[in-house]
Formats: sequence, C-alpha cells, structure tokens
Amino acid sequence: MSGQKPWLHGRKPGDRRVRVERPHSEFFRYSGPGQFVARQAASRPRTAAGRAIERIRHALLGRPLSIHEEMDQRLSKKKALAIFSSDAISSSAYATEEILRVLVLAGAGALLLSLPIAMGIALLLGVVSISYRQEIHAYPSGGGDYAVARANLPHIFALIVAGALLVDYVMTVAVSTSSAVEQVISALPGLVDIRVEIAAVAILLIMLGNLRGLRESGNIFAIPTYIFAFSTLAIIVIGVFRIVALGEHAPPPEPLPGASDPLQLVGIVLIIKAFASGSVALTGTEAIANGVPAFKPPEPRNAANTLLVMALLLGVLFVGITFVADSFGIVPVDQPAVKTVISQVAAKIYGDNTILFYLYQTFTALILFLAANTSFNAFPRLAAILARDGFMPRTFSFRGDRLAFTSGIVILSIAAIVLIVAFGGITTALIPLYAVGVFIAFTIGQVGLVRHWLRERSAGWRKKLGINAFGAALTGVVFVVVLAAKAPTSLLVMVIIPVLILIMVFIHRQYTASTDQLAMREDAVIPPPRREERVIVPVPGINRAVVQAINVARSIAPDIRAVLISDEPEEAAKLRERWERQLPQVPLVIVESPYRALVGPMLAYLDVLDMTWPEDKEKPITFVVVPEYVARHWWERILYNQSANRLRSALLGRPHTVVVNVPYRREDEDEPPELAPEDSKPAD
Amino acid sequence: MVAFRLMPDGLNPDPIHKAVLGLNGGPTDELVVNLGCQLAKLYSAELVAIHVIEVNWQHELSDDLTDENLAASSVLDAAEVIAERYKVKLSGDLLQAREVAAALVDEAIELGADAIIVGLPYRKRFGGDFAMGTTIPYILQNAPCQVIVAREPVPSTGERRDNREKLTAGAGLGLR
Repeated sequence: MSGQKPWLHGRKPGDRRVRVERPHSEFFRYSGPGQFVARQAASRPRTAAGRAIERIRHALLGRPLSIHEEMDQRLSKKKALAIFSSDAISSSAYATEEILRVLVLAGAGALLLSLPIAMGIALLLGVVSISYRQEIHAYPSGGGDYAVARANLPHIFALIVAGALLVDYVMTVAVSTSSAVEQVISALPGLVDIRVEIAAVAILLIMLGNLRGLRESGNIFAIPTYIFAFSTLAIIVIGVFRIVALGEHAPPPEPLPGASDPLQLVGIVLIIKAFASGSVALTGTEAIANGVPAFKPPEPRNAANTLLVMALLLGVLFVGITFVADSFGIVPVDQPAVKTVISQVAAKIYGDNTILFYLYQTFTALILFLAANTSFNAFPRLAAILARDGFMPRTFSFRGDRLAFTSGIVILSIAAIVLIVAFGGITTALIPLYAVGVFIAFTIGQVGLVRHWLRERSAGWRKKLGINAFGAALTGVVFVVVLAAKAPTSLLVMVIIPVLILIMVFIHRQYTASTDQLAMREDAVIPPPRREERVIVPVPGINRAVVQAINVARSIAPDIRAVLISDEPEEAAKLRERWERQLPQVPLVIVESPYRALVGPMLAYLDVLDMTWPEDKEKPITFVVVPEYVARHWWERILYNQSANRLRSALLGRPHTVVVNVPYRREDEDEPPELAPEDSKPAD
Repeated sequence: MVAFRLMPDGLNPDPIHKAVLGLNGGPTDELVVNLGCQLAKLYSAELVAIHVIEVNWQHELSDDLTDENLAASSVLDAAEVIAERYKVKLSGDLLQAREVAAALVDEAIELGADAIIVGLPYRKRFGGDFAMGTTIPYILQNAPCQVIVAREPVPSTGERRDNREKLTAGAGLGLR
C-alpha cells in the first residue's frame, strides 16, 4: 500500500509528517475491506493502437459513462414524448396516404370514406392506448407485452410477442426511413436515384446517435418531433379554417365509369384493405409501455401521462390530415414525380415551392428519419430483456461505454438497411410486412393482462379486465384483417416470426444446459483437490522460453516431462545429450515423427499416457505447459508460435487437460534464465 | 466570478482558489466535503481532502500501517465520490503524523491553500455538546489562511430526549 515515505518537516520542531503513497488510487477506489471499485483509468487500453482506437471511439460516441450516471440519463416527459412517440406521431405522415392508395382503386367516390376509416383507426388507437396505460401501471418495470405475456401466459406466447415485436421494430426503421426519403424526393425529385443510399446513411447516423446514449439522442430527436407536430397542427387549423369558414374545398368526386361501388363486395374488400393499410398509424404505440424504466420517477405515472398525450396528438394529426386531404381532393401521385399526400397537403396550405413548404418538408423528412429512433430505444431494450431471460445471446444485455445496448443497436441497423436495399427503399412495398407483428403483440399482451386481473383481483379489477378483454378482441380481429388484407406479402412475417422463435428456443436450451452443467449446490463445501497432476512440456529444443516454461511446470507438479516431436533423429539425439547435461532433473521424451506431423503425435502421446494410467485410480489432470515467445510488434506475430497455436487449438476441449501458456517476453532478454541449481550442474 | 455574500460589505471572505478539507472518517466528513464542493463550484476552486492517521509512539512515524491505511483510503475515496457528483476537482492526500492538527496546517501551508474546512461533531452523550477537542483550536490559532468550521446539525429536543432515554435504558438506569 505505502511506498517510500520521506519525512516532511512542519513549521515547529518535532512536527513531522509522512505522506502515504496510494498506488491504487489511480485505478481503483477502495470501498471496503477486500473491495475495490474500478475507475475509468483501469479500463484504459495499454497499447498505442488501443489508445488511438479509444480516442476515435470517444470522438464519435463521447466519453464513457459510469453506471452511477445512469440516473442522469433518465428522460423527462417532454423528452420521452419526442423519443418514444416519434414513430407513432410520424406515421400520421404516411398513414393517410396508405388509406388513399387503396381507396383510389375503388374509384374517386370511395375517397370520401377515408375520413370514416381514419376515425375508426383513431378509435382503435384510443382503445389500445387505454389498455397500454393499464399495462404500464401493472408492469412498471417495462418489457411491455413481452413482460405481460411472460408473467401470465405459457412461455411460447411470450416468445411469439418477442418475435413479432422484434420484426416490427426492424420494419419501423425501414418504413420510416424510406418514407422520409420519399418526402425528400417529393421536394427534390433529382435525388430519386440515390434513395437507398440516403436511407442507409440516415440509419447509420441514427445508429451513431443512439450509441452515444439516451441523453444525446433526446436532444437530437426532440426538436424536429415538436416542430413537425406543431407545424402539422398549424396545417390542420389553417386547413379547417379555409374549408369550414372560407368554404374552400374540392368538388365532391364523381364516381368513375366502371369503378366498383364502395358498397359492393369488391368495394368492401378494398375498404377493409384501406383500414388495414391505415392501421400502420398504430405502430409505435407500444414503445412507451416497453420503455417505462427510461422515464424519470415516478416512472409509471410519467409514462402513462406521456402515452395519453401521444395518443391524443397522433389521433388529432392523423384525422386532421385525412380531413384536409379529403376536403381538397388530394391523392398520392407517383408519376411523373413522386408527390406524397402530406407534401401536397403542405403545398396546399403553405403554398407550393414556398420557404414554409420546404421547411415543412424538411421537418417531415427529419421526423420520419428520426421516427426510427423509437425502435432504436425499444429493440435493444427488448433484446436485452430477452438476453437476460436466456432467449438471446448475452451480448445483447451488455451495455457499451455510453450505457447503450450496443449489440441491439447495431443489429437493428444492419437488419433495417438490408430490408431497405431488398425492397429498393419503396415504402408501399414495405407496408404489407408492417403492422402485422404489432397487432399480434397487442392481442397477446392484452390477453395476458386479462389473466393478470383475474389473478390479482385488485380494486376495480372487473373494469380493468373488461377494458383489456375488449381491447384483446378488437386487436385480434384487426390482426386477422391486416394479415388477410395484406396477403400474400404479409404471410412472410408469419414465417419469420416462427423462425425467430425457434432460434430463441434453441439459445434458451443451450444456456439452460450449460447452466445445469455448471451449477453448484449451495450447501456443498468444496474439499481440496485429490486428483493427481502431471505436466507435459512440448519443447522444440532448449532456449530461454523453454527453460522458463520448465520452471513454471515444476511449480505445478513434480510429475513432469518434456516432449520433443522430431522428424530428424540425429538432431533429436544431439538435443537429448544437451538436455541431460543442462536439465538433468527433467526427463525428455523424444517422439520421432517420420510423417513430419507435430500435433497428431503429441495428442497420441497424451492418449497413450491416459491409457497406461491405472484403471482403479481417478484420471489425473494433465497440464500441457506451452512455451510461447511474445513478439514485440503485431506483424512479428505471424512469424512465431504457429505450432503452439495449432497445438492449443487441438487441445481445446480435451478431457482432463489444462493448457498453460508461458509467455517469454523479449524485454526479459537481458535477464539470465532462472535455472534450478541442480540444473546448472553437469550431467552425471 | 460570483460574489459570495455571507457577510456585510467589507467583511466578505477572500475568494478561495484551493481549499483543504480535513477529514477524520467521522460523521462530519460528508458535511465538510459537501460544503467544500459548493464553495469550489462557486469559486472554481481546487479541493484537497486530507486524512491524517495519528501514529502513536509505539510505531515509527514512517511505519507501514497497512490496515489503517486501507481504511483511511476509503475516507478519501468517499470524498472523491461526493466531489464527482458535484463535478469538482478533488485530490486525496493521506498523511501519517503524531499530531493531526499540526499536520493539517503544515500541509495546507505547503499546498498554498486559501482555506481549511473542518467538521465539528456534536457529541450526543451527557445532554449533548460540541466536542471541540484540541484539533480545531490548534487550527484556528495556527492556520495562516481562512478556517471554516462546519458543525454537525444539533438534534431537535425530541431527538435528544430519545437519545437520552436510549442511553439510560442501555445503561440499566431506565425507570421502566
């Protein structure tokens, strides 16, 4: 603990003091007997290359955060509304368009149905939101529908929810980003050829923002979300004023000759399809229930209130845009240039090619790019919960320097980019895959809550049960409608989800098996080992590295032998003569290898040793002590230790065998090898 | 620079650039560090937390008192935790000396500190009193810089009565 202690003299004679060195203080904080807390310096890389990489990482991602700073990273309601709701709110930018794209097939007259359909979806949103408020209070530790299903239903339902949500989170990133690119193209048609590249770069930038941690993400995402919400509200207010007060609106559409009657069977199917397409507006509603722990205390109350605000805002924006678009007779246009519904609504209210129009398009594109961030919060959290439950690799539960779940963030980005590339970045092509999973989660989650209330029977349980049962029935029906209406593309999701479930079950079985194998009884007292030990040192000759390995081997067990695999008998004989002279206490076994193999004969020799071991005795532990020369530079590594590496790989998993590396560093060159005194004597 | 107006004009203390916090591992340490951190934030000052291990005459002054040093280190480390919360620069200094007060003053002089902050504990026994001891008077008399004494809060009358009852009951003198 203390090093050299020179006396320091005080002002008065006899006043002396000694400064006690605290060598641990740079790397550790002493927090109790036998207990230290590592400081940031303890994790600092020790090589120049490592330090350079660390500098780059810090420049990109920021300084590492301690777990004690986590509380600072909690979200206020305002910031959480922006982060968790950007997906849901931004869907108002394309949900109307998806309804109109279907209705237009039923003829111009059917377009009038867009408003009732939007109101129906808003009603569904209300039911789902009320159900989720109950879920937040019932399960304040987060996890959303997965946690509910896991606690109340058989495991398979929890896995179905998990698989469905994971797929939907990836879809959210892909759809939001591609839709954002379409908004950009609506304003700048020249960029149509690089839409995929723009989308991929945007996802990478969002990934980077999230790897920096929650707080920074909040700042990045809060402003565009609020600007979009307020400027869209302004569009709705101005639009409603012009329609209602000034009487501006398009003439009622005339049914096209030959177009199907909306009330005929084909028309009804199209209306159902339109409802299914518009239900993408509901995606993202579950994000707040999943991320309750990210809120500032009191978490459940803040999360529930944020959800309420989000649902109201989304409902108003979605119905309002649909009303304005409907009143002005706006339909999506793909030729000669892409014109999204929201861009046409903005052009109608703010004026085409005005500064306000371009600003609005910019913020619409921004919020859509950033809507993907909802999934960047939700996906890694769900993956971490699944990893903790043993259904996903544990790496998903580890947090990086900035307290973000790095693996989940990176995997989500890769999956979304792959989807965008596969579908050419076209939103309408991606939509059929979207929203299927989320309705599975809604339904199972609410069925789980019904079970929860039946078990708990807490105050007002009947009312709560009624709400969740109604919600489950409604979302269950909508799920079937969405699946059928978007078939056959939507059926792809019904293949992907079971595959994900199979993978999760497989991972869980692996972890359970290994945990069972490694488990120790808590009441067991571990006696000292009674097994015999022997040491084998594979040697290429005599050198300092070998001598060091021999000395280490001697400290392990007295039963030690060196083994030389050689394809040159004469050289081997010379070595034996020298060995017996320099290391007389250590027997050398020479295995001639006329086929020039090294690893095979060594393994065979170990097998023979095992076979000759008395059957009535427990097998000994065989330590294979491998001398290793440590290269000074990275490029030198390819020149050395290739045989040792192959031997180590071959010994991996061999029963009753422990491989010990004994590195010999070039810095030790000046020090003479520590030969035991008897070794230095000449052989008898 | 923000003026630190504790007293009427003309009596304001000089700005602090470096302050020494005298820690003894007792209940006033947290108070001292918190006060030091608030002042350091105000003046952008640097803090040095000092813990002095009093070495008795059975040991050489420079003896390696490993066990005591580890415990003493935790006193300084706990101070650093508080300082990190305030985002204030604080370094720790562990000393061995025969006289705590002299070592604190001498170290403050060597460091060029503008202030020494020490804690005054409230002794709860025998009706309660501030345990001034010998350290604080020595520092007050000999420190060439400002000295700030942070007293431990005095318990309320009710708390004092409870403590007294516990004490008498514990000593077998209770009436019940």
